[in-house]
Amino acid sequence: MAKVTFQFENGTPVEAAAVSGENLLELARNYNIAIDAPCSGNGSCGKCRVKLLSGELDSQKTLHISQEEYDGGWRLACISKVVGDVTVMVPDIASAYKNRMKVADLSSGEEVAIFDRTVEDLKQAGIDFTNDFSLLTVPMDPPTLDDTMPDNERLIWALKRETGEEEIVLTFQVLQNLAQVLRDSDFRVKCVLTREGSTLKVMNVLPADQDVKVTGLAIDIGTTTVSGILVDLLTGEILAKASAGNGQIRYGADVINRIIESARPGGRKRLQKAIIEETLNPMIGEMCKSSKIPVSWIYRLCIASNTTMNHLLLGVYSDPVRMEPYIPSFFYSHAVKASDLGLFAAADAKIIIAPNIGSYVGGDITAGTLSSCIWNKEEFSLFIDLGTNGELVFGNSDFLMSCACSAGPAFEGGDISCGMRATDGAIEACTIDKETMEPTFRIVGDEGQKPVGLCGSGIIDVISELFRCGIINAKGIFVREGERIRHNVHGMGSYVLAYQKDAASVKDIEITEVDIDNFIRAKGAIFSAINIMVSSLDFDVSMIDHIYVAGGIGSGINMKNAVMIGMFPDVELEKFHYIGNSSLSGAYTILLSNQAEEKVHEIGTGMTYMELSTNPQYMDEFVAACFLPHTNAGLFPTVQAELEG
Amino acid sequence: MPFKKTPQKFAAAMKTVELGTGDKKIVLGGESVLPFYSFDAPIENAPKVGVEIVDTLLEGAPAQMKEFYAGCETMADMAKKAATIEGVDFITLRFESADPNGADTSVEECVANAKAVSEAVDLPLVIMGCKNNEKDAQIFDKCSEALAGKNILVLAAKEENYKAVGAAAGLAYNQKVGAESSVDINLAKQLNVLMTQLGVNADSIVMNPGSATAGYGFEYVISTLDRIRLAALGQNDTTLQMPIITPVASETWNVKESMASEADMPEWGDVETRGIDMEVATATAVLAAGSHGVIVRHPQSVTTLSKLIHALI
Repeated sequence: MAKVTFQFENGTPVEAAAVSGENLLELARNYNIAIDAPCSGNGSCGKCRVKLLSGELDSQKTLHISQEEYDGGWRLACISKVVGDVTVMVPDIASAYKNRMKVADLSSGEEVAIFDRTVEDLKQAGIDFTNDFSLLTVPMDPPTLDDTMPDNERLIWALKRETGEEEIVLTFQVLQNLAQVLRDSDFRVKCVLTREGSTLKVMNVLPADQDVKVTGLAIDIGTTTVSGILVDLLTGEILAKASAGNGQIRYGADVINRIIESARPGGRKRLQKAIIEETLNPMIGEMCKSSKIPVSWIYRLCIASNTTMNHLLLGVYSDPVRMEPYIPSFFYSHAVKASDLGLFAAADAKIIIAPNIGSYVGGDITAGTLSSCIWNKEEFSLFIDLGTNGELVFGNSDFLMSCACSAGPAFEGGDISCGMRATDGAIEACTIDKETMEPTFRIVGDEGQKPVGLCGSGIIDVISELFRCGIINAKGIFVREGERIRHNVHGMGSYVLAYQKDAASVKDIEITEVDIDNFIRAKGAIFSAINIMVSSLDFDVSMIDHIYVAGGIGSGINMKNAVMIGMFPDVELEKFHYIGNSSLSGAYTILLSNQAEEKVHEIGTGMTYMELSTNPQYMDEFVAACFLPHTNAGLFPTVQAELEG
Repeated sequence: MPFKKTPQKFAAAMKTVELGTGDKKIVLGGESVLPFYSFDAPIENAPKVGVEIVDTLLEGAPAQMKEFYAGCETMADMAKKAATIEGVDFITLRFESADPNGADTSVEECVANAKAVSEAVDLPLVIMGCKNNEKDAQIFDKCSEALAGKNILVLAAKEENYKAVGAAAGLAYNQKVGAESSVDINLAKQLNVLMTQLGVNADSIVMNPGSATAGYGFEYVISTLDRIRLAALGQNDTTLQMPIITPVASETWNVKESMASEADMPEWGDVETRGIDMEVATATAVLAAGSHGVIVRHPQSVTTLSKLIHALI
């Protein structure tokens, strides 16, 4: 037995018992220590660095660690084996994904505006914002020796009298607490009511003088990031908003690695636990705490997520999703309650899962499509959700077509040596001076925050600027020389964004040719998918009237730069609209409106799914798009003009 | 009803690239029709045939070829002899032994050989390396310098070394530069764009969009050539209008059909005939799909291909 001590830059050390030869990353996972491993531990991403403080590890030097760093004690956890007592330091950047769950400040109104706008848009489109929930104050006569009716019948009688309804049922939780509540409140209570078919269902009973809220939760479960809002179901008011990293990430950065992990013994349980107990429940708890509402007052949930995420959330066997012919277990489910999953909410709270339409186009897209309102416009719109998978929807009020392409984790900072999610310290925007090659940044976080790495929007800016300044060529290879441009022993070029002394990371922040190449592939995947989908309908990109871009890759994307690098088609910049997390705003409307719930199912069943992986043209288009901005320069006339002018 | 001939007319043409100097100089490309469609419009510059001389001389060469080159002790000797082959248009020198993982022949030695050849013959010269990107860049650089003014073609710059090769051969010494990509129209186009962005004149570039031996994934080669020619002519894609050259010998002499001895494969017949057949068949197919020049090794192949071309055009 060996003793392994994990130390952190801030936080108490964790001691773990290991057998000799045990893998350090596996060990850390078993002890719930967060080490970022987007590649799921096969030594290819170089993110799981730890520093030896004392003792030894059986660990090779890899391409990701320079000799100097190796001598300084840096090792990759995934290829390190325990050989004896050892102390390692887990640096902050690696654990950054844990991302310090963030409860948003709603006071400025900025956070709420996007949801209000979505509701307005949907109302314009004819969606009625009513749901089945109501709150009713019911007075009753207290029982006497002459009036010995049991409590539940007493309540039902009173409700029949007040509402004129015939069929009324109480949930089990209501029954359990009923005697106490009725007596505490002198038989004057508020009932939280909802409807199931012709039955009126009493979800909760509370003293009449208490200030009561009827709430629901809208949640977006992304492969990387989870966010949610707590909503007053009667007024639509947003009471709290929070986001956190998806706890499943330590089992792999992308859906395929997660599915593989889930198929291992006990894997489904582990992944379900990671999302529910480690991610969703703490987040719900925080939101309820900040708005002073007990979790049992949450009566309805809407979850929008990609197909894999909702399969893993429900603990459904999902291996067929990743294998030909790519069949998911379900498109939608009406049968899930909060108590089935152990989610913090009223036990009977119904969970609405936004419908999937294919293995790689899930509820996040149907919800996003709902909120973008492209289904209600005569003009042709393109909806793009940038995530680990890029999903596209194209169409108008007459038809909708969707497809998915694997962009990889680059938009969220994976596969990029200095990449990170859009949390504190992330460079989210950048400009570079053409003469001096000096960069200027905008960084996520408080005033004075030092840079740690690059998030998706920052990467777009950096590559676009490097290209505009002629520092890299169209293949992403460095062609200018300067103080900030380096070449390693393998001849690989890199550009130093921030020297270690100016940064909050353990080494210089630099972007390498490999990073740029990875990103060019990601953008190539998106662009070629757009091109194929649009041209398969005999359309031309110039016929697209609106392009809605969704996803949490930063506070916003510089569309001009995204066009510059050939990620989006070269159309007028006014046609682009950044709509933030459309999956969450879609879930919000489904939560509040019965008609929106019906609509999202209508969208789900009416959308055509196009499988790109079997399209023979795709590879050709993809290679053509892996160039800045594109092999066919004629597709990007304004970029051409800018580079020449 | 009388037959009415409707020529397929393109508004674009392939670029022309001249190789060599003096009387023996050759021109590749220039036509605005599909390969051998001389009935649509005249093809002024028929495809050219080059003979390959490897720096390992006649090591492993088949009997008749040894006989042809009998008495040759240097590349220059061989070149002089090769220049007498009926139908030969240019000479290609391939420095296979320069590979650092092989004999690692020095750059100086390669240059000396190239120089000796250029003094011995007046045919245009094409220089090929050893497929090691760094070493090739040095060989191309020094050969371009030593043969300045001879208007040679270095074959070829690849994505990995196009900067060094393009700058030396194309910019400094004004030679012609090959652009080699691996059987993908987009990669071919990307390299042409990168080279022209580097400053290499588009009229100094010859493409080698990759090859294979007939029967060895060859349909990709044909489809790539086909689509390059259609894009160049049909869509007037100026980044794909460079003439195309295909080294055939370095592919076909390494497959089992050309190598297996008669003792092992009696039913296949004479090994040398097979080698020639593979070379001719492959070269014919790439010519029909769009190449403007082929490089073969066997003297009989050169003559056969030359006759074929001139019978058609």
